[in-house]
Amino acid sequence: MNTNVQQRVVKVISEILNREESEIRLDTSLLNDLQASSLDQMSLFVALEDEFQSTMPPDEVTGLDTVKDIIEFIDRKLEQTIPT
Amino acid sequence: MNRRVVVTGAGVVSSLGIGVNEFWSHCLQGRSVVASIPRSWHNYADLRSRIWSPLPGIDSETLRVARAERLQLDPVTIFALGAAREAIKDACFTITPAGERSRNFVLSNADSAQTGVFFGTGLGGAFTFLQNHTHHLLRNPRAVLSEYVEKKAPAESREMLKSVVEQLSHGIRFNPFEVSMVMPNAPAAAVGIKYGLTGPNETFCVACASGTVAVGNAYRAVRDGRVEVAVSGGCEFFGDEHGHIFRSFDVSGTLVRDCDNPETANRPFDEKRSGFLFSQGGAAVLVLEEIEHARRREAAIIAELVGFAESFDAHSMMSLAPGGEQIERMLYAALADAKLKPADVDYVNAHGTGTRNNDEIEAQVIDRVFGKSVPVNSTKSLLGHTIGASGAFEAIVTALTLRDGKTHINRNLETPAHDLNFVRRVKDFDPEIGLSQSFAFGGHNAAVVMRRYTD
Repeated sequence: MNTNVQQRVVKVISEILNREESEIRLDTSLLNDLQASSLDQMSLFVALEDEFQSTMPPDEVTGLDTVKDIIEFIDRKLEQTIPT
Repeated sequence: MNRRVVVTGAGVVSSLGIGVNEFWSHCLQGRSVVASIPRSWHNYADLRSRIWSPLPGIDSETLRVARAERLQLDPVTIFALGAAREAIKDACFTITPAGERSRNFVLSNADSAQTGVFFGTGLGGAFTFLQNHTHHLLRNPRAVLSEYVEKKAPAESREMLKSVVEQLSHGIRFNPFEVSMVMPNAPAAAVGIKYGLTGPNETFCVACASGTVAVGNAYRAVRDGRVEVAVSGGCEFFGDEHGHIFRSFDVSGTLVRDCDNPETANRPFDEKRSGFLFSQGGAAVLVLEEIEHARRREAAIIAELVGFAESFDAHSMMSLAPGGEQIERMLYAALADAKLKPADVDYVNAHGTGTRNNDEIEAQVIDRVFGKSVPVNSTKSLLGHTIGASGAFEAIVTALTLRDGKTHINRNLETPAHDLNFVRRVKDFDPEIGLSQSFAFGGHNAAVVMRRYTD
């Protein structure tokens, strides 16, 4: 797992969901632990797109719930070269 | 119930500066920001106009809009928030965070239910609409063509195809917040949300008269006791990537055509005028307040708003009615609302677009109603045309003119097309009453009347 990606994901989650970074662990669930609504999750993925300059359409991010899920998803995205 | 209404705050995001002080200082210096349009826009159309008035690079953080908000707001709304913050601070309201980690605020010395928001815009979030539309339309074809160019295209056509791919540019995402970004009421709603203002929240969408109509309706709401305080203004953003909005005004023949000398091309009321200078946009916001409410807070009063009226030409979507009869009727109605006569008016901030038709009819009406001696200028001779924001910018200029006893020149006026007292140099004068008028595509006419404030 890319630690740079991990740090940036945690920072964005903290920023968008108004949480302390210390509350956000790899096994933290957006839904159950952070009580992120569907609107919150939409905001989060728009911000992650901005952070990583990569497209994350809703059909690709559906089902991503833990912080680890998100980091691994972004790791995979960054390995690909997707024309935008 | 007729209560007195005063302007206690102003805020600006414009090509002439971010902040009222910079804006007004540049106005009085007769400055104008004019540049060539982005070169890439010429790839998409044969454009007759070639210049515009661009905004300075604006980091939304400097307008106190965080990334989480920026990504869900059209620039038009970000500008509205920036100008509103300045105006609210200028009016000496105390801005307090709404909660420990909240991005929103409350005005601790205002009754939120008695504070309304009244905004005007011509096209609202058109930028976001176009950005998302190009993504929607072009992403897949561009990806397919890119792959073909990389893997299969014959060497002799590769460069040509690469330039085609380049022209099929689009934003990185289809923003899932598009609806709330595009809707014209987003700027007013965002200002209401940001400061917890729960009074009436209204949007006026009447093209180039939007700003004036918004300020006028805010004035009425305070005067009639619907609210104690009104945050009012106009906003616009026309900087889409492919120059689509510029083209739509260009193709209708409204934009300045004589572009060989960009510095002198924009010349409202001049014999050689050839259209208006397209502005990238901006926002202008005024805080209006019931006078005793303002006095109790010991707010600094900029000017008093004393009249407003509207009329409609019922003639043409894109052209003023010849003769300007409905404009004249509207002006008399605005003066009646203010209990004034034409001879009482010491300053007219004209609509003054620089199109052949507008300036000719407007000058005739000013002559008929106010005569040849009243000082007249066009703020669009400096700013270009900010469409839905323009009336609010011009209301601010009118208020500052009355406060300071000086106003800006009508720039690039060499040979006036009409014998009026156009402002040719900045000098002290003693205006007590000022009037700002706007006319719009569709046929909407509106004016606000202001009085110099003295204790």
